[in-house]
Amino acid sequence: MELILLAGGVGKRMKQTIPKQLLLIGGKPIIIHTLERVDSIQAISKIIITTPAEYIDQLKNLVRKYKLKTPFIVIEGGGSRQESVKKGLEYVTSEHVMIHEAVRPFVLREEFEALIEMKDENVTLGLDIPFTVLEGKDKIEKILERSTLFNVQLPQKFSTKKLKIAHEFAEKEHKEFTEDASMIFYYLNEEVKVKKGTEYNIKVTTPIDMVIGEIIYKDFILGRSSV
Amino acid sequence: MSTCIITGASRGIGRAVAIELSKRKEIQDFILIARDSVKLEETKKLMAPHNEIHICAVDVGDIDELSKIVNWAGESFGSIDYLLNIAGYADPHSLIDTTNENWETTYKVNVQAPFVLIRESVPYMKEKGGVILNVASTAGITPRPGWLAYSSSKAAIISMSETLTDELMEYGIKVYCISPGRCATDLRRALAPDEDQSKIMQPSHVAKVISNMIFENENCLDGQNIIVRKPVLR
Repeated sequence: MELILLAGGVGKRMKQTIPKQLLLIGGKPIIIHTLERVDSIQAISKIIITTPAEYIDQLKNLVRKYKLKTPFIVIEGGGSRQESVKKGLEYVTSEHVMIHEAVRPFVLREEFEALIEMKDENVTLGLDIPFTVLEGKDKIEKILERSTLFNVQLPQKFSTKKLKIAHEFAEKEHKEFTEDASMIFYYLNEEVKVKKGTEYNIKVTTPIDMVIGEIIYKDFILGRSSV
Repeated sequence: MSTCIITGASRGIGRAVAIELSKRKEIQDFILIARDSVKLEETKKLMAPHNEIHICAVDVGDIDELSKIVNWAGESFGSIDYLLNIAGYADPHSLIDTTNENWETTYKVNVQAPFVLIRESVPYMKEKGGVILNVASTAGITPRPGWLAYSSSKAAIISMSETLTDELMEYGIKVYCISPGRCATDLRRALAPDEDQSKIMQPSHVAKVISNMIFENENCLDGQNIIVRKPVLR
């Protein structure tokens, strides 16, 4: 099983000049937290990292410095998340592919392994939504039933062939998706199973996430190791 | 296959630990580091014969060489499973008499060398987990007038051990730290020539404690400074 790791951040929402995947949590770059977790999974045979051109060498050096064992390549991503996945798919040779984001460093090895072991072709991690979500921007347009919604997390696993087809459709129609489960569902009407994730698997996006991330790292990741 | 690096293995606690650990079936390859190749060969002869024992006659203060040895060991054996930082340096003087050179040598051997060895070894430990043991001293936790460089360097290694315990936990790497009290070593003999060494703690006592700690009672002793001291009638 091969993995596309999206490392496309440029630090805009983080209000930093350093891209968020290279910011430090527990003194270690966020992407290394993520890569070390992936590196401990036997079933993952290759990692395809997509990143802006200016960070390619820096990422290669980082991965070498931490002596990660899983074979990897670092390629230039696209102008959007969707384009980066599409570019990454060109390098995938396995029947199924996993997609993950570098800035979700607190995913557990067990969560990856659970997705890999599931018989289903298309699976995403997801969480119940503990708050109310409504449709609209300046005014409420529609009430949404919370119990029917879920929070899409990563990693996700897909049939490589089907995901490639979905991306072809999306490119032709110039339609943008924020993640791939909805794309494959939309174009191929494929069943996408939802595997329950943990609330610790946050996406480090804004400055407050760095504060929360330090706590998760110390109390959940390290605390877990000490049990 | 398990690989173990021991510094300061030519004498004292380092030699005793090499001998003690060579009796354990958990380790197959030893890399012994110290300046004196003749004394390292003597240690080798005293160790259980079934092991592969590699001698590296290098000054522990030669930081570049340490990195090379670790990388050679990691690439040759595939992993480094045990790293025991035992080599130590002491040349005690009052504050006014402590030269920059004395300070730097003390910190190079007692702090920088363990730091570099750990930093270089961890990438080869991460996959399977491992054990790091740092030998500090009771001088690192009590005031020792006239021992400023040594005692503060030992305080540093205690602090380093505590921090690394947390930092390396997620790789399954355990970090132990022991602080021996008075022990019958060459170093101690030079510093206290009139002392009857037969009455104080022996290097073999410390070696047994270390072996027990990392192989028999490994679960609750990491991450804290363990004082090893033999009560002596005065």
